[in-house]
Amino acid sequence: MAAELTSTKLNPESHIILDQPLLRLPHELARRNFKTVQRAVEREKEYIIPAIKETAAASLSNTQTPDQTLAALDAMISRMQGLKRKMESLQEEEKKIHNQSRKRIQHLETLHKIPSLADVKYDQWSRVRLDRLLVDHMLRSGYSESAKQLAQDRGVEELVDLGVFTQCQRVVDSLRRGETKEALQWCGENKAALKKSQHNLEFELRLQQYIEMVRTQDKSKKIEAIIHAKKYLIPNHQSQNSEIMRAAGLLVFTQDTRAEPYKSLFALDRWRVLAQLFIQTHHELLSLPSQPLLHIALSAGLSALKTPLCHSAYTSSSSNSQSTSTSVCPICSTELNELARKMPYAHHSKSYVESDPIVLPNGRVYGKQRLMEISRKMGSVGPGKVKDPTTGEVFHESEMKKVYIM
Amino acid sequence: MDVVQKEHSRLLKRTEASQGIKNVQSAVDSLQAARDAIAADPSAASATLASLQNSVKSSFDSINDSLKETHSGLNKYTKSLDKLFKDRPLPSTDDDGLSSHESLINRAIAMHLLREGQFAVAATFLSEIAEQKTIYPVTQNGCGPSNTSASLLDIDEVPSTEIRKQFASMYYILQQLQENQNLLPAIEWSRENREALEARGSNLEFELCRLQYVWLYHGGANNQGTASGWLAALEYARQEFHVFVPRYLREVQQLVGAMAYSPNLGGSPYAALFNNTSAWDDVAHFFTREFCSLLGLSADSPLYIAATAGAIALPTLLKLQTIMRSKRTEWTSENELPVEIPLPPQYLFHSIFVCPVSKEQATDENPPMMMPCGHVIAQESLKRLGKGNRFKCPYCPSESHPKDARKVFL
Repeated sequence: MAAELTSTKLNPESHIILDQPLLRLPHELARRNFKTVQRAVEREKEYIIPAIKETAAASLSNTQTPDQTLAALDAMISRMQGLKRKMESLQEEEKKIHNQSRKRIQHLETLHKIPSLADVKYDQWSRVRLDRLLVDHMLRSGYSESAKQLAQDRGVEELVDLGVFTQCQRVVDSLRRGETKEALQWCGENKAALKKSQHNLEFELRLQQYIEMVRTQDKSKKIEAIIHAKKYLIPNHQSQNSEIMRAAGLLVFTQDTRAEPYKSLFALDRWRVLAQLFIQTHHELLSLPSQPLLHIALSAGLSALKTPLCHSAYTSSSSNSQSTSTSVCPICSTELNELARKMPYAHHSKSYVESDPIVLPNGRVYGKQRLMEISRKMGSVGPGKVKDPTTGEVFHESEMKKVYIM
Repeated sequence: MDVVQKEHSRLLKRTEASQGIKNVQSAVDSLQAARDAIAADPSAASATLASLQNSVKSSFDSINDSLKETHSGLNKYTKSLDKLFKDRPLPSTDDDGLSSHESLINRAIAMHLLREGQFAVAATFLSEIAEQKTIYPVTQNGCGPSNTSASLLDIDEVPSTEIRKQFASMYYILQQLQENQNLLPAIEWSRENREALEARGSNLEFELCRLQYVWLYHGGANNQGTASGWLAALEYARQEFHVFVPRYLREVQQLVGAMAYSPNLGGSPYAALFNNTSAWDDVAHFFTREFCSLLGLSADSPLYIAATAGAIALPTLLKLQTIMRSKRTEWTSENELPVEIPLPPQYLFHSIFVCPVSKEQATDENPPMMMPCGHVIAQESLKRLGKGNRFKCPYCPSESHPKDARKVFL
């Protein structure tokens, strides 16, 4: 494969792979919003139309006093006004989402106006992207305050999804505290969408409630648990039969049992698993990638930049911190060095060395021009001498030997 | 992208023109009218109610119509998004090799924030990490083995104390330099680190002093006429420049010699020395690089470079993933990427040696070896070619013995 070593070509269409969630998420929210409107309208329609019909029929057959008719109409009016208020607030929400989408599309659009990767504007664009990735990572890890602060500092609030993630984090926190209420409420709000999900989050939550009741070993609580199981667990018997059986078996164990699978059902670690399951379901529903985008970008980037020299036992002559004429490679820099250790290194099919390379008696290769310049700048070497900027050894100029690297 | 934008603006327009709420209001109005009519004249109730039925129904119908329209708009937008991202799914790696290094990533982020000068955010970030650690000690990383969290804690402490102080002082110096044209903190720093800088062959201190000299000549802080500036500059030179004379004799001679031309420096051969518009930016950049290098860090944020390189590399890597999946092949050499990814030239940091014989990249185990003729091949190729005997260089007529070849460092 004869790909070129370097390129500054920018293909905006393929460059936005990482930015899919940027547009997908608000769109998903807009759709959800729309469905809520639709449902509300449907509900009122199903109430009002038959109600009018009934009232009309009643009034025709004179089984209703005029006051009753008026009262029925008043009820209808107040319901319709309720619908109107609801629709108004939803429309506000919709407008907000659309405006956010618009700003995001504009942001991606600017990429089309950037001629190449070497352009200063690309640098700026990419910095905004990094800020976005960082906020995304922070939000996913539950560092909401940092995320908020960073987004505000950098003015990227419209390009990140603080609200969605903060909400998600609240539920996760409540689960980790051992509370199911908020998670169940979320399940209720997303009932329709959850039907398509492959994870049965709601069942797991109900099961956990059941486990907590059994855990008390209190007799009345256990009876409550059985009622709870009948109400919430049994309806799932087709898909979750074995879990329900196990749950039934749980009744005869105490929480310090060592018998599996009951031990793991009682385990407090189950709350963490539930939190994980919630995150998974939540992200899936909003078509968010399961990993932080930063991880995806970094793992590709670390490999693309890494060379065998980055973790070599020998100091590289071409990029190290000992000389002012070279810049430290980002992979060699402390921040990323450990992280990149297990990554594959980039593939190269051609050597790339400084022009006019020479080798010193200690085996170090430098560009002749650069070496002479550093030696001159360092001052402490006499005329006709060169100093190895990596090791500090001083050699006579005649000891430099030309080296041929193909 | 154009299509997406068009569909979206259409959607936006449709939303703004939506009749839904107006129709609800009209239903409310007709209900209210009917109520008033019945209240006024109860005998006409059945007739009023019959007509009410129709008008409310038609209101609902038009609400549904407008909803339908919104729905189709949403669907069209969905389609345009699908088309835009078609064939470009996010990579679906279950294990990216990074998720298990949560704390290393967090450390990198903290360092990035510090070097970008976002101290407040960095402080919040570090305290939130610490907080989460105390609340959920075991649950840190996904399937977190609890034994690692203790040792990783130590790593996290690194950026919070020493490095944070370092970057804070860096930002103070840079701010003074760029905003107030005050070079003194920078000069002071470079004096404190003179030995380390000299070992690097860095002339930062001289550059800073030279700029200070030029700045004084141009009138210094009060920026008035050159007469007093001239004196101040000479005074400064007398005080400070003697240190530089052994190393920068020529430059010092130039700087002082230029004074002879004052006040007509602009027309002198030294004009360029004194009227360099980018001098301040250059010095700031130079300072940042030296400062970071002394800490063993790269001048630009590694996180930024890596993330950008990642975005550039992703399309290629994804294409590769698709091809490999469709051909059901596996890449066998685990520690090297299978394709070359062209990055912009400023993303090349190390020299790269690819053996011209085996086409493999040199590693610690297989280092580049130089034969007496000056040609370089990898050690394994050397062994294979020579088999312990004299052999001809694959690139020139000279013959040599493998043991005459010497390891070189790129």
